[in-house]
Amino acid sequence: MASTVISHGFTIEGELTADDDVVIEGTLRGKLVSKDTVKVETGAVVEADITASSLSVGGQVTGNVTATDRVDLMPGARLIGDVKASRLTIADGASFKGNVDMDV
Amino acid sequence: MADVTVIGQGIFLRGSIKGDGDVEIRGRVEGDVEVGGEVTIGEGALVKADVTARRITVRGAVAGNLTGEDGVRLEEGARVVGDLRGAGIGIAEGALLRGNVQTGTGGEGQRTRARQQPAQARTPVRVEPRKAPAVVVAKATSPGRKAQPAEERAAPPLPVIPVLKKGARAALRKRSR
Repeated sequence: MASTVISHGFTIEGELTADDDVVIEGTLRGKLVSKDTVKVETGAVVEADITASSLSVGGQVTGNVTATDRVDLMPGARLIGDVKASRLTIADGASFKGNVDMDV
Repeated sequence: MADVTVIGQGIFLRGSIKGDGDVEIRGRVEGDVEVGGEVTIGEGALVKADVTARRITVRGAVAGNLTGEDGVRLEEGARVVGDLRGAGIGIAEGALLRGNVQTGTGGEGQRTRARQQPAQARTPVRVEPRKAPAVVVAKATSPGRKAQPAEERAAPPLPVIPVLKKGARAALRKRSR
């Protein structure tokens, strides 16, 4: 199980800094920095810039995304913002608006 | 477990947490925590925030006021600096607390406020007399010491003037001429 879970029905406003993996099922506004994996589950709403080693998005994200490893947009994901990652996958059914920078 | 929000060990959150479910905090949180369910502040957690919840259990360190509608429990290893308020408050052996405790309020705002105000009024009153006498004493002694020499200095010149006789000034003028 993930070390940090922001579950459904919860709202976090502010700056979240994590050494471990983070799973978001609820709402996050502000900024998220993780040294590990970040998962934005289906139904989650994130209005924040995200920095992580790898990021998978199933919910809604508004903000710039930076990953040292990879970014995965799942079916049903909605991302508005720029992506900076060495690897990016966009599944069929994901919506995405923004620039991609894969030169890392 | 789906409704439990966990703030893990390696987490530093600066901001607020709001929601209806349960929260378990094992990392660092600076901000406000307002939760409809149960809040558990685990061992090794560091919380600098006012926590409001239905029930609060503490095993870590907290700097802030804890308000639990149903109750607040400080387990062994808890270190709390702040006020506790709730229907039932339990402090286990080995828990440390510095702050006011208020039980039986049942989370009713009016009662808590009514009892809170005198409590808040008392604390400054307790503090003031400690500081006030020290200041008063300092004021009382310092002008007293200054006043006494001032009187002593003022007193000698007075007899000196009558010592000068009526013709003395004229004599001085004659000498200067």
